Amino acid sequence: MPPRERLRAWLPRRVPVPLVGLAVTLLVLIAAMTIAFPEFATFANGQVIATGFMPEALMSLGMTAVIVSGGIDLSVGAVLPFTAILAGLMLHAGVSVPLAIGTALICSAVVGLLNAALSSALRVHPFIVTLATMLVLKGVNLVVTGGAPVSGFPTGFTMLGQGTLGGVPAPLIVFTVLATVFGVALRHHRFWQQVYLIGGNPRAAQLAGVPVDRILLVVYAVCALMAGVAGVLVAAAYGSVSAGFGQNSELKVITAVVLGGANLNGGTGSIGGTLLGVLLLAVLYDAFTMTGVSTYWQDVVSGAMVLGSVLAAELLNRRRLLTAS
Amino acid sequence: MRAVLRAAGVSKAFGPNQVLHDVTFALQRGTIHALVGENGAGKSTLMNILSGVFRPDSGAVMLDDTAVVFENPRHAMARGIRTVHQELSLFPNRSVAANIFGRHQPSNRWGFVRRREMRERAASALARIGSAIDPDALVGELSIGEQQMVEIARALAEEARVLILDEPTSALSEPDAERLFTVLRDLRSSGAAIIYISHKLTEVMRLSDEVTVLRDGRVVGTSPAESVNQDQLVRLMVGRDVAATRPDRTAADASDILVVEGLSRGRTFREVSFSVRSGEILGFAGLVGSGRTEVCRAIFGADRFDRGRVLVNGESVSIRCPRDAIRLGIGYLTEDRKAQGLFLAMSVGANIVAASQPRVATRLAFLRSAVTRATANAWLRRLDIRPQDDRYLAGRLSGGNQQKVLLAKWLAAEPRVLIVDEPTRGVDVGAKAAIHAQLQALAARGLAIVLVSSELPEVMSLSHRIAVFRGGCLVAMLDGRTASADEVMTHAAA
Repeated sequence: MPPRERLRAWLPRRVPVPLVGLAVTLLVLIAAMTIAFPEFATFANGQVIATGFMPEALMSLGMTAVIVSGGIDLSVGAVLPFTAILAGLMLHAGVSVPLAIGTALICSAVVGLLNAALSSALRVHPFIVTLATMLVLKGVNLVVTGGAPVSGFPTGFTMLGQGTLGGVPAPLIVFTVLATVFGVALRHHRFWQQVYLIGGNPRAAQLAGVPVDRILLVVYAVCALMAGVAGVLVAAAYGSVSAGFGQNSELKVITAVVLGGANLNGGTGSIGGTLLGVLLLAVLYDAFTMTGVSTYWQDVVSGAMVLGSVLAAELLNRRRLLTAS
Repeated sequence: MRAVLRAAGVSKAFGPNQVLHDVTFALQRGTIHALVGENGAGKSTLMNILSGVFRPDSGAVMLDDTAVVFENPRHAMARGIRTVHQELSLFPNRSVAANIFGRHQPSNRWGFVRRREMRERAASALARIGSAIDPDALVGELSIGEQQMVEIARALAEEARVLILDEPTSALSEPDAERLFTVLRDLRSSGAAIIYISHKLTEVMRLSDEVTVLRDGRVVGTSPAESVNQDQLVRLMVGRDVAATRPDRTAADASDILVVEGLSRGRTFREVSFSVRSGEILGFAGLVGSGRTEVCRAIFGADRFDRGRVLVNGESVSIRCPRDAIRLGIGYLTEDRKAQGLFLAMSVGANIVAASQPRVATRLAFLRSAVTRATANAWLRRLDIRPQDDRYLAGRLSGGNQQKVLLAKWLAAEPRVLIVDEPTRGVDVGAKAAIHAQLQALAARGLAIVLVSSELPEVMSLSHRIAVFRGGCLVAMLDGRTASADEVMTHAAA
């Protein structure tokens, strides 16, 4: 195969129009901020943006798969502090760094497995199951810590959150690797392609021999695992953990994924889109801080953006369907 | 001869409803075996058992004379059993190629999909059944007929020892159906065994080697196709003689109730004008995709139109939504009863009164359950819907009975004009005759009916006048008494 064709085969055949709109919005925002605030387009501010939104960015990777499958995971915002606290308590008690991280991550994945297993065994919508998990874990986090922060970690651990490699923060490297893996897997791997089938038409997926329940186990486990990774990195970055970490982050994550073009009915969505959504939210929140907009208004704006993007996608979709018929 | 696949004394019940009684059925290698019966006779259940969707309560499925238990469709597929389900089971957001391969997309050692190979193999699977659909097109953007071709290509993409097709031609045009038959005959001569489920008895007679008739969950007969004729089959299926309907073609000499002038929308339909009188059945003939349904939906307010006007009783009206249309006395019985017609998870009674809420509600809009139930039960009796229980779940009814519930819903709304779109699609002969008789009786009582149907005999036998559509235009208006099938087809396919 000639290289150009090979490249063509890997690239999306048609870039969804809403994503182009999203990219343009992002560029306009960046341009406006650069002109208005000279300190915006600096390396230092780039680092602020990258680290500030890193937990949400990591979680949005797993959430994309969940939403493509037609489900939702509200528990990620509680799994993050849960994992961070687990790791923190173990480190505090002198457990070795790899063992503490490994155990904490496995626990986070188990939460995801439980979400999927309960949802399919009880035939309950994941919204309800993960809502319950979220509430339970929030309680557990407070009980375990007694509401007080846990700290005192070895540098071997905090390096993960604070260290840099050639000037690039370690969490950003972790994220880049994971985002690439997710992007390629969702788009090109057979296993992950089946997630689109499940979200697109669950009954047909069953009839086509797709092992729906088994795949959903993996999808939710991976989603929770990403929240776990975020938790570990946050703990390492701050050198201390508390039950208040990740408050409401599940909503930001879902917002980013939906902005990125995933439909909550399942069957559509991509990592590329999600990355754009994440980036837009991250830059937006940074812009809020820089311009001194009240935090109260921030949610108003991001809410309006979700509505706007959904509306735009819907209108474009309708036009396309009309011309196609 | 050795049977490839056999059902040995299979029984299956859903709750109190015994669907299959001790069914024995043997499929020989290198044959096409037709399975016929009225809706609700148990064909689909039998097929679902053979393909691993359901497990039998008693009895066994034997593959090559060894009893097998299929835990799920995946197991059956792994043993070479492929199915084309009656309800389209595709993924609208995915490409044609991704649909054809489903979970078996061609991939390398690490599971990464080889897109080019997938595209090429999809194209050749489609070419095999004579279709030139773009493998990269999104399935949701294809017509129903094209989707059906994709569904068939999917079943044939991988080597099948046993192929089960449930009503594969219900959405296919004549030439597409012919190509499918050729492929099926090729498969037969290469040794595959095929179960062919269809209501179209002419097809069955032409195509199959053996025919098995199911009635009320029991096998009432299996015989070589050449030793039975169509009438005998119908008698076996229904258990009684069905008189061929011969319509009374004297259209009432009344004034036009519904007049449509120059209706247009983009390239979908252009300059469509017609009128329909009280007591008249106006047939809409044409190929799938000729714009008939689109015109009807636009008149009913379900879709918009760019130009043209609609007159009811001589007055120009503005219909912006189905509610407007219903208020004006227009009903539209959809062609897609599951997706657009019925509330499957609600009771039959609730479905029947769904379009006539104002009639059965108090002034404060509380539904009067006594009136609701009385209305529903009256229609259940009148249309002989079974079971005659207004609390039964609509989704549990057989196709023919669902279609009757849909008809009851619109009749309960007491329309003056009723548009019926494919009223007998996927419906068995008995229910079909009943629906035809109802339509004629309704017309005789003064209802104006627009009948959209892709089954030529249906349009020919019921319509007073026949409007033929081609490529979004109404190209001919023929007299139902004198028009010949050839004449209609010439206009429709020219």
